[in-house]
Amino acid sequence: MPSVVHPGAGVVAARLTDLTYWYPNSALPALDGVSLDVSDGITVVAGPSGGGKSTLLRVLNGLVPHFHGGRIAGHAQVAGMDIVRTPTRNLSRSVGFVFQDPELQAVYDIVEREVAFGLENIGLPAAAMRERIDEALAEAGVEHLVGRQVRTLSGGERQRVAIASVLAMRPRVVVLDEPTSQLDPEGASLVISAAIRMSEAGRAVLISEHRLERLMQVAAGLVVVAGGQVERHEPSAWRRGRTQIGTMRPAHPGPEAWSLIGVTAGPAGRVVLRDVDLAGRQGEVVALSGPNGGGKTTLLRVIAGMLAPQAGSIERRPGRIAYLPQNPTALLHRPTVRSEVELTLNRAADREDPDMILGTLGLAGLSERYPRDLSSGERQRAALAAVLPGRPDLVLLDEPTRGMDSFARAALIQVVAQLRDAGSAIVLATHDSELRDALADRVLLVCAGKVTEQGAVRA
Amino acid sequence: MNARAVAAWSVACLFIVLFTTNPAYKLVVLAAAFVTLVTSAGIRRMRRLLIAVACIGTFDAMLNFVSAHVGRTILFALPDSIPALGGVYTLEAFAFGASGGITIAAAIFAAAPFSLLLQPHDVMDALPNALSRTGTAIAASMNLLPVVVTSFGEVSEAQRLRGWRPRGPASWAEVVVPVVLTSVESSIQLAESMEARGFGSASRSAFQKRNLEWDHWMVIAASGLAVVLFIADHAMGGAKDWFAYPSLTAPQLDLPGLIACLLLFIPVLVWSRRA
Repeated sequence: MPSVVHPGAGVVAARLTDLTYWYPNSALPALDGVSLDVSDGITVVAGPSGGGKSTLLRVLNGLVPHFHGGRIAGHAQVAGMDIVRTPTRNLSRSVGFVFQDPELQAVYDIVEREVAFGLENIGLPAAAMRERIDEALAEAGVEHLVGRQVRTLSGGERQRVAIASVLAMRPRVVVLDEPTSQLDPEGASLVISAAIRMSEAGRAVLISEHRLERLMQVAAGLVVVAGGQVERHEPSAWRRGRTQIGTMRPAHPGPEAWSLIGVTAGPAGRVVLRDVDLAGRQGEVVALSGPNGGGKTTLLRVIAGMLAPQAGSIERRPGRIAYLPQNPTALLHRPTVRSEVELTLNRAADREDPDMILGTLGLAGLSERYPRDLSSGERQRAALAAVLPGRPDLVLLDEPTRGMDSFARAALIQVVAQLRDAGSAIVLATHDSELRDALADRVLLVCAGKVTEQGAVRA
Repeated sequence: MNARAVAAWSVACLFIVLFTTNPAYKLVVLAAAFVTLVTSAGIRRMRRLLIAVACIGTFDAMLNFVSAHVGRTILFALPDSIPALGGVYTLEAFAFGASGGITIAAAIFAAAPFSLLLQPHDVMDALPNALSRTGTAIAASMNLLPVVVTSFGEVSEAQRLRGWRPRGPASWAEVVVPVVLTSVESSIQLAESMEARGFGSASRSAFQKRNLEWDHWMVIAASGLAVVLFIADHAMGGAKDWFAYPSLTAPQLDLPGLIACLLLFIPVLVWSRRA
């Protein structure tokens, strides 16, 4: 009999008892004998990629099993309702769910209409909606966005509108599945503030999150999900870990690998970067930081030669470029993770053993899996494995640690450090301060079309 | 702006433009649609639309001119030995092509208010309750279009840098397949999000149902009257059709048909006031 986990100390809002779940066509359970009580306050759900965090969270509003199918055994209750017998659409009145990607949640084009969507679905009369909408917008901290078009909002604003749209249903439990993974630090901080306000309002809040520093100060419980099983930990016992790199650094960076001279650029004739002078060397890691929409991706695309400058010029040493786009899973189309790596190696006419990078990125056990069946963190690693093999001369990575757990981040740091030591010029756009601290020789702030040197990080 | 009034006006414009072959009436409808858009949306917002209409209309007119080598008024001739282009070029073919171009331009301008003057939620609010869920699902899927477009750009760039080069239709699979897979996954995630917010759990209510005001009724009434008047005129031998071949004749206008088309200018008076 598995042990029962009680993360919070207050009233139990949800209870899972010996719950086991298998996805369709899967012999191994994604959740295995899970027993868990969820109480008021914030419960942080942590654990490695592919360990079952998203599955566990989706059980709480019935998306697992009602939307995803598969087999389920055991008992699960939320707000007094049997999750296994109650469809998700009915559970939505008691359990709000905020997804990872703010762009794939909006139905309407205007903020208050988007917040009203759930209320319309449950047939609430129009006269009763206004009060609930105002209340939800205030709780999520986005009352100032009334009347704005959703597509004009930043990622952080969008995510808080998504939070408001579930709060309008006045749920007992709010579940947030890595809500900040695609946001810059400012946007992430605002979303976490909204989560804290929700718990202060007496809701049970479950949040799967990698930026734990601030949350752990207020969390009532910490649940670690790994291999489909849950373990309880005291939030007070959590300590921030730092990634160590065990690679030797070259004595000096090599010759200049790329340079931008007076470059003005932007997509579709817009000016996103203005009059940028910049250069990078072989064996050097340049990190780009700055807010979402500041121009980091545009700069990477210009360096890669995928976006022609409107003015100025670019110079690059000849050689292969490895480019990880912001949405790396879009790359994946081969039947297995290994065949993705082999495709890149074959095209580069490189004889490197695919197992080398698969092993380093912790993908050896997943090499024969279909990449799109993997969890989001595992997919991210698969995409990295697909672009990085074969000793590329120039490596351009756009938010490479998005959704990654600490193990995967350490593995990425190891791979990038090896490439750097082998003489690759590396540019990475990232909000991840740990990645910057671990790897960057120089940090550049890209903001409002300007690129500002923030100084050398490493001696 | 009320979507039902816009729909009534658009349908009336499209009906007359597609019902008659007479370019004189089509021109009046084209003018009504153009002036309506200019006064309510502004010429700046119409820039892309104008370019698209000019290109499509011109292409349609020229296609008939170069491919229909019939008619009595010969403008010039190219040797028959030139494949596809050889033969006589006639005034009649040009006029018939121009009439087709006017039809397309008028039809596009008539449908344009749905994108230029209305938001997706305006259209959804105007749907009857029975179509509310379907309309919501369609509107939600429309939100995915920018995601698909972005995904196409990202994938083609990333694949190029992995060594992919377009070599024939089969090679595009490496771009198209990931884009399609990503689109399907995005749709599933959106569906998940909608389900998680109670979509389909009960009979839907509406945050805003826009009532028809007097000016909306005026547009609807004028649009209906335009269609009825035009059909009646045609049934009684008026609003005559026109055909360019074999010899070009001037299209004829009669008063009832003209009045029917002029009724389509009514939105110029009421929508410009709201814009």
